[in-house]
Amino acid sequence: MIVTEPLSATHKQICSKCIYDERVGGINFDESGECNYCKQIDALTLDYGTGTQKGNEKFHKILAQIKKDGRNKKYDCIIGVSGGTDSSFMLHLTKKWGLRPLAVHYDNTWNSAISTENIRKVLSKLDIDLYTHVVDNQEVDDIFKSFFLADVLEIDASTDLALAEVMYRAAWKYKVKYVLEGHSFLTEGISPISKNYFDGKYIRSVHKIFGQKKMKTYPLMTISRFLFWTIFAKIQKIRPLWYIDYNKEDAREFLEKTYDWQYYGGHHLENRMSAYAHSVYLPSKFNTDMRNNTLSALVRSGRMTRKLALEEYDKPPIIEKGLVEYFKKRLKLSSEEYELIMDRKARSWIEFPTYKKTFELLRPMFKILAANNLVPMSFYIKYCYPIKKSSPK
Amino acid sequence: MLRTRIIPCLLLKDESLVKTINFKNYKYIGDPVNTVRIFNELEVDELMLLDIFASKENNSINFKILKEIANECFMPLSYGGNIKSIEDAKEIFKIGFEKVVINSNSFNNLKLIEDLSKYFGAQSIIGSIDVKNNFFGNRKIYSHHGTKKQSHDLVAWAKKLQRAGVGELIVTSIEKEGSWNGYDVDLINSITENVQVPVIANGGCGSIDHIVEVVEKANASACAIGSMVVFQKKGMGVLVKFLDPKIIKERLK
Amino acid sequence: MITIVDYGLGNLGSIQNMFKHIGVKARIESDVDKIKSASKILLPGIGSFDTAMEKINKKGLKEVLHEKAIKEQIPVLGICLGMQLLTSSSEEGHLSGLGWIPGKTLTYKNQINKKIKIPHMGWNLVSKSSESELTQGFEDFEEVRFYFVHSYFVKVANEKNSILKTSYGVEFDSAIQKDNIYGAQFHPEKSHKFGMKIFKNFASI
Repeated sequence: MIVTEPLSATHKQICSKCIYDERVGGINFDESGECNYCKQIDALTLDYGTGTQKGNEKFHKILAQIKKDGRNKKYDCIIGVSGGTDSSFMLHLTKKWGLRPLAVHYDNTWNSAISTENIRKVLSKLDIDLYTHVVDNQEVDDIFKSFFLADVLEIDASTDLALAEVMYRAAWKYKVKYVLEGHSFLTEGISPISKNYFDGKYIRSVHKIFGQKKMKTYPLMTISRFLFWTIFAKIQKIRPLWYIDYNKEDAREFLEKTYDWQYYGGHHLENRMSAYAHSVYLPSKFNTDMRNNTLSALVRSGRMTRKLALEEYDKPPIIEKGLVEYFKKRLKLSSEEYELIMDRKARSWIEFPTYKKTFELLRPMFKILAANNLVPMSFYIKYCYPIKKSSPK
Repeated sequence: MLRTRIIPCLLLKDESLVKTINFKNYKYIGDPVNTVRIFNELEVDELMLLDIFASKENNSINFKILKEIANECFMPLSYGGNIKSIEDAKEIFKIGFEKVVINSNSFNNLKLIEDLSKYFGAQSIIGSIDVKNNFFGNRKIYSHHGTKKQSHDLVAWAKKLQRAGVGELIVTSIEKEGSWNGYDVDLINSITENVQVPVIANGGCGSIDHIVEVVEKANASACAIGSMVVFQKKGMGVLVKFLDPKIIKERLK
Repeated sequence: MITIVDYGLGNLGSIQNMFKHIGVKARIESDVDKIKSASKILLPGIGSFDTAMEKINKKGLKEVLHEKAIKEQIPVLGICLGMQLLTSSSEEGHLSGLGWIPGKTLTYKNQINKKIKIPHMGWNLVSKSSESELTQGFEDFEEVRFYFVHSYFVKVANEKNSILKTSYGVEFDSAIQKDNIYGAQFHPEKSHKFGMKIFKNFASI
């Protein structure tokens, strides 16, 4: 909750099962106090058979197809890597499954040594090749700054979207049909749509209004590119951790032991921009502490008690020394400017031109694409429905 | 005893880091300050930063970015790129760099080196020589980022630089740069045989074996590495890294 | 608060930067009056012995430094050339040093065979010759090394003033101490975690 009082001491309604509270966008509670997000996770678990024989079988079928389609090619799948737990563990799994992956990294030039070292160690031990797209540092700082000046929450949206685009480009270059993602709805939950929205038009609009430098090296995923990758190139997005059992803590321990991999202290803290966003920007300006995603997921899966999760949530997030100074330095902000903007009223993505309406219009098409793994199911659930209604089951 | 120094050599172009092959086709590597920060976290022994187009385009030195870089570093730093005067050097040392690298500006002005050496001490001055073979296989010196041929004989020039007061020499093989298949051992040897100052080998390193080779066979005192610290492998993606310290310790006793 | 003396030579920015990094306040001063009020002094130095002594003599610093180091006996740390200045003289030049620690600064040229390069430049190991507050905590590291770059080395007259020794052709004193006066031939500000240890220790004296 990060403020002055514990969440439980406020009078906000908290889900009886996890720890999402009423501030989470699109949330509603049933008679027993359980939130719709818990229900959504239950539905997905049932559908995908996560951690059950059904799930395993489903996945192994996909695996066989990946291998078949990858014959006579240098690589049979793409894995996006960040140096974090999920992607590092995915690399390990792909080798276990007998796949021949190409690791793909989008370098937003804010990496910490922990992430580059983790990437290096795991790739070197597993003998996996790396494809990187590095964006020009001045250009990307201009994009980050334009989001900061726009007073919106999604300051790191450009990184997430760029990785998706770069993975597609790598897939296209090497004629690979499958992109494997390490996302796990069990350990991460599904971020509510109201916060953390991103699409190519949104990034372009914000940048157009507040940016100064032309976008040349930044890999922008426009809707036409998105449709090209999914419909024409038919590149599938597979999320193995939606089918098989996955325990993040065990994975972390395993990585540490096997690869001398290092934990960076929290979700997404291996990159300084996402660390800033999660530990400083979101909590201070938007009263949003996204640690409840991971914590709720742990509670739902029974790995942490709700009581403990609430206690964890009440603790302030870990902030690397000098992080705010570094942020100001990179974005060329004086302390006065920084304070001024941080104190300003927050704005929402809704106020800017985005593809949202287009996604909603194309819902029937995306439903089919999702069923065929051509777009992630979470994309369909989050983006293709109008936000006023609660998310469907 | 003194350990062979392994020095990541980073190339600065405007406000970005790049990497070249044979001094051409520069590829974008990343933000200089963040990259240097990573090297600091990896506790590398030393770093060299070269502004590759500064002399060629006669640009003024970007002191601002050098200061930001120096603030991130707790190991020795050298800078090269259109240093023309004692004032330039003074400013660079004040910012926090240990050594300056002089290449193009030494050719018309050996006195610059003499003056810098007298004022700051020989150990602060690195003389840099870039070499390419001509059509007949003879070694020729090139300045201004490989664009201007110089008429001096290679060994004679190295000796001149030594006499003028450089503390060490860095010798770069333009042909080997970015190749990953080893230093030009003969080239380095031709210099080390004829000078007393330490010689830093540069251009072509692809593995610890190459480092061991040029130290043992050509008596190089130090090795500069480029591609190895910014790419995951030859031909693959950008990844900032350094050699495993355990391996370094083992192979370079 | 550490006072870094600015007499015109030395890597002051880096030194201050490292103190800042370890959370110790350090100021750079060239003004004699400001130095008079110092509680701890750091004497940096890169360059030649005579140039350094000339500057110190000319700026009226010699008297105030003597006052602080010998009369008031505040902790003083000389780094690289700064350490050489603590001795009585150097084969590099003609001027006298500060003479606070009996010993001489000698040239490598006479002592070693041609195979070894001058200057001594690079990372080298140190070993303890006597205990000192400056070198506390070295046991935490597997081996201790620092970045050296110098063409002249120090040999103290009295062995008990030697606290660290290093080998480069000849064995020399890489760190020295006499009462409140300390010297380090290497560059702590360029020796990352090892240097930070030295600076932390000096700040705690």
